[in-house]
Amino acid sequence: MDFFLSRYRHLTVLLIVITAQLLLIAYQVRTNRDIPLIRVWAVTAVTPVEQGLEFVRRYTWGFVEDYFVLLNVHSANVKLQRENGQLKIDNNYLKNELATADRARSLSVFEARTPSKTIAARVIGNGTGANSKVVFVDRGSTSGVESGMAVVTPDGIVGKVVDAYPTASLVMLITDPTFAAGVISQKNRVHGTLKGQGHAECLVDYVQNEERVDVGEWFYTSGDDRIFPKGFPVGQVAAVQNGKTFKEIYVTPSGMQGGAEEVLIVLQGVHQEVPAGELAAPGYRIQPLPADAASEVPQGPPQPGALATDADRLRAIYKQAGADQKHVYGEGVPGSKPPDFTKIPSVHGVPTPASAAQPSTASAAQPSTASAAAPPPVAQTVPKPKLKSGPPAETGDPTDDEPSAAAPAQHPAPAYAPQKAAPGAATTRPPLPTSAPVTPPSNQ
Amino acid sequence: MKLHLGREDQQSSANQLLRDDAKFAAPKIAFFQYLTVAVFLFLITGFWDLQIRNPEVYQERALENSVKSIPVLAPRGKILDRDGRVIVDNHDSFSLYLSRENLKMEHLRPIAEGLNLDYDGLVARVRRFQSRGAPQYEPIAIKEELTPGELAFVDSHKDASTFPELEVVHVQHRLYPRDGLAAHVIGYVGEVSEAELGTPEFASFHQGDVIGKDGIERQYNDQLMGVDGQRRVEVDSFGNERHVLDDKEAIPGKNLQLTIDLDLQAVAELTLENRRGAVVALDPRTGEVLAMVSRPAFDPNLFAGRIRSKDWKVLLDNPAHPLMNRAIQAQQAPGSTFKPIMLLAGLETGAIDDNFHISCPGGATFYGHFYKCWGRHGTVGLHQGLVHSCDTFFYNVGNRMDIDDIARYAEMVGYGHKTGIDLPHEAEGVVPSRRWKIRTLHEKWFAGENISVAIGQGATTVTPVQMASAIGGIAIGGMWFQPHLVPEVHLLPARRGDVNLENIRKVIDGMYGVVNEPGGTGGRAHLPGIEVCGKTGSAQLVSNAAIKAGFKVAEDMKDNAWFVGFAPRENPEIVVAALFENGVHGQLAAPIVRDVLKAYFDKKARLAQPQPQIARLPTGLLQAPPRLPASSLAVNP
Repeated sequence: MDFFLSRYRHLTVLLIVITAQLLLIAYQVRTNRDIPLIRVWAVTAVTPVEQGLEFVRRYTWGFVEDYFVLLNVHSANVKLQRENGQLKIDNNYLKNELATADRARSLSVFEARTPSKTIAARVIGNGTGANSKVVFVDRGSTSGVESGMAVVTPDGIVGKVVDAYPTASLVMLITDPTFAAGVISQKNRVHGTLKGQGHAECLVDYVQNEERVDVGEWFYTSGDDRIFPKGFPVGQVAAVQNGKTFKEIYVTPSGMQGGAEEVLIVLQGVHQEVPAGELAAPGYRIQPLPADAASEVPQGPPQPGALATDADRLRAIYKQAGADQKHVYGEGVPGSKPPDFTKIPSVHGVPTPASAAQPSTASAAQPSTASAAAPPPVAQTVPKPKLKSGPPAETGDPTDDEPSAAAPAQHPAPAYAPQKAAPGAATTRPPLPTSAPVTPPSNQ
Repeated sequence: MKLHLGREDQQSSANQLLRDDAKFAAPKIAFFQYLTVAVFLFLITGFWDLQIRNPEVYQERALENSVKSIPVLAPRGKILDRDGRVIVDNHDSFSLYLSRENLKMEHLRPIAEGLNLDYDGLVARVRRFQSRGAPQYEPIAIKEELTPGELAFVDSHKDASTFPELEVVHVQHRLYPRDGLAAHVIGYVGEVSEAELGTPEFASFHQGDVIGKDGIERQYNDQLMGVDGQRRVEVDSFGNERHVLDDKEAIPGKNLQLTIDLDLQAVAELTLENRRGAVVALDPRTGEVLAMVSRPAFDPNLFAGRIRSKDWKVLLDNPAHPLMNRAIQAQQAPGSTFKPIMLLAGLETGAIDDNFHISCPGGATFYGHFYKCWGRHGTVGLHQGLVHSCDTFFYNVGNRMDIDDIARYAEMVGYGHKTGIDLPHEAEGVVPSRRWKIRTLHEKWFAGENISVAIGQGATTVTPVQMASAIGGIAIGGMWFQPHLVPEVHLLPARRGDVNLENIRKVIDGMYGVVNEPGGTGGRAHLPGIEVCGKTGSAQLVSNAAIKAGFKVAEDMKDNAWFVGFAPRENPEIVVAALFENGVHGQLAAPIVRDVLKAYFDKKARLAQPQPQIARLPTGLLQAPPRLPASSLAVNP
């Protein structure tokens, strides 16, 4: 046996590996399980090595690189440039140290202050895939990480855990095309869904054209997605325009500004209120959250009352007319003055939403989308927002203003267009005909 | 030599060692051989299963990973009023489907939890679909009208690594008027039920299809419903669409224009706010329904998605029965609104004539029983009898007539039969007769029963739409058109009554007096400048005898108030019937009709339009239909 193994050692190893692979494939086929055991083992085996390499790279590569650069300096300036270079190295080193300390401090402060239970993790490598935006972090199931957990930084959300291995986890970044999260705007409390686009900016979808969203406005997590706790910053609106059905809102994610190297995985999320005021310098200086933040999350089924048909608008007009005349519909004593409907506006066409919104009923004042013509899309863009750069821009989107009093739509003439009453016809009664012919209506 | 021998010995001992080793290793080698064979047998069985036994299954499964079917739902047609104004619209919405190609049963629990769905209900729904043998690509609708929060949940979990079976479909959902405006006319939509799928009417539909369940939505479902399309797309491992394999566009449903006039409908709705009852406005010249209201109403928007069982229970348990369309289903005693028909029947049969007078001391005794009148009217003739709604006068008329003659004329105006309006579940009402009593109660008719019938009590019941149609037909000279809500609908020919126009004129004169003469009971319907004719009716729900016996009349057992009116007196254009449940006095229902009539004539004044397009009756007071024998009266089945 020893002889056999020593003589055919390579072949034996190869056979063992191939057989093991085949066994695993057969096992997976037969059990019909999705668990990629090979991947788990491979990731588990490779992760420590990758961590070590990353450690070495992080602390030595810059030095080596600078060293080789310095070798090419002209000999005449070797001394000065060496000194200069050394100073630069020191400077860079100190800057990096400072930045790292800042991030670490920011992370630890955030970790301490956020009510959610989190665990710090470091990005150790990129995932594979042509279009996907995924990274590996150095915390896995042994640290309590599970699939579906949120990944954040003090600046905002970063992504979510899609696979948890024993010592590492795969995180889908906010920029991944299949990423999505529930968000809410800070100022106007508009709900939407943030979607990754495969590049630096994300899209907020499902926001009606009639809703108001301003460039520079902040979006926060809404908690609707059951992944991200409510109240985490998401990003700032870079551009807004009306789309075919929904607004096209582009947001620059704040959690990945400058790249995310250290992140927090939310092990147990606690919802917070979205700050009502301007964003308080997203970073490690976390402002206390207002206690009286409005509870704007709609519960239950959607309220179609926000939309209206012509029937709703017309009834609102008649109701207002009755109220103006102090007339109670369906009531009156003999000789009482009947209501006057001769001044009812827009009876022959679709009344304007503005006129329908006159009554004080809350529902009537809701913007209409059912038949209101959408204004032409107007895009607004601003330079990418910088963190800690002051209050968000207050520039409003003119297309989001209240629907203008558009000309009423034209409708065909009423089928029963009435005859003009002859003067005195109401009181003059002609003699009763006895055998007048009957002309049946045309639709008989 | 020694060396040679030594070498030979060494060789020999080495060979011996090898032989010994071989002997020693043979069982182990054999073991590994058998193990290898076993391993390969295991592999072969796996590959056999994969490639020989069930290749289609795995091929299909592989395809399922790359091909996704997305339904493209056809929007239903809009419902418009006669002027083209939108009554029922569609609005953008999102529905959630489960793609059965990627479905994993173990995902259902977290999905149900995330979307606040009933897990057991969801599992049952999936199992129903699977047991029905529906094609694998046919997805299962599990939730409509997704909220922004639910959309966020679905979008953030539908990636390939979480719940790839989730599929959001952009649909056009029904948008109905708020507060139940015209709810009973329009009806509502809903998912076709298992029971309905078993009926011939819905046999061609599939589970999950949204159909009209009631009202116009049901009656004209074929017109309003479009044809769904489907997109089959190839997706990558992340669920992103890569190629469209097949794109079958949806065909939208057709718009439907009703005869309803939203101006009148809006006013009629407002007149019944916080009341129970119904209003029906018709054009008596054509049968077109201009307004139809039933209150209390329901919110059809609750049905636009899938109604929650809680909401459904609330509707069913409501003692006011908000789902009932009182305009066509409330079968109530007409009370004194029956008197014009009695007057006409009395004149037509010769039971009374112009000289017929009675004395009303507050009631009269017939067959040993005293029948009370609501007032003391003194000497009363034809005209005053109707104007003052004198019960004693009509007791006498009824007493002079045969019940079958009364029934014949009641049926002539349309009572006791469905009007044929194009709405489902219309009620017939009751017109008592000898035959009716034998058929239903197995008893013979007693002459004393005529007395109650003569004032619209007893067994007589009508629906508001029947009343509007009946009085409208009298108003235009004895011609009754089938009430309808869609102009192009196939209609039955108009029925012409065998009546004398002189007699009709006497009835109309009386109805004019009800509204416009001193002492008339319908003065609250008076409109300056417009000759309104009408008749009040107060229909008892509890008999006088029961009240006298001490029966305490609850709020919902108080008398019903009716008013039916038309205008103008000459060549009438509109007739309105109002039922004000528990309104006590008919005169309290008169302002309801007055407001609707005012809305009609004010609109007419606002518009400067040419001659009517539908009504082409020659000018004149009333158009006299040729007299037909009574036996030839056509009555709607």
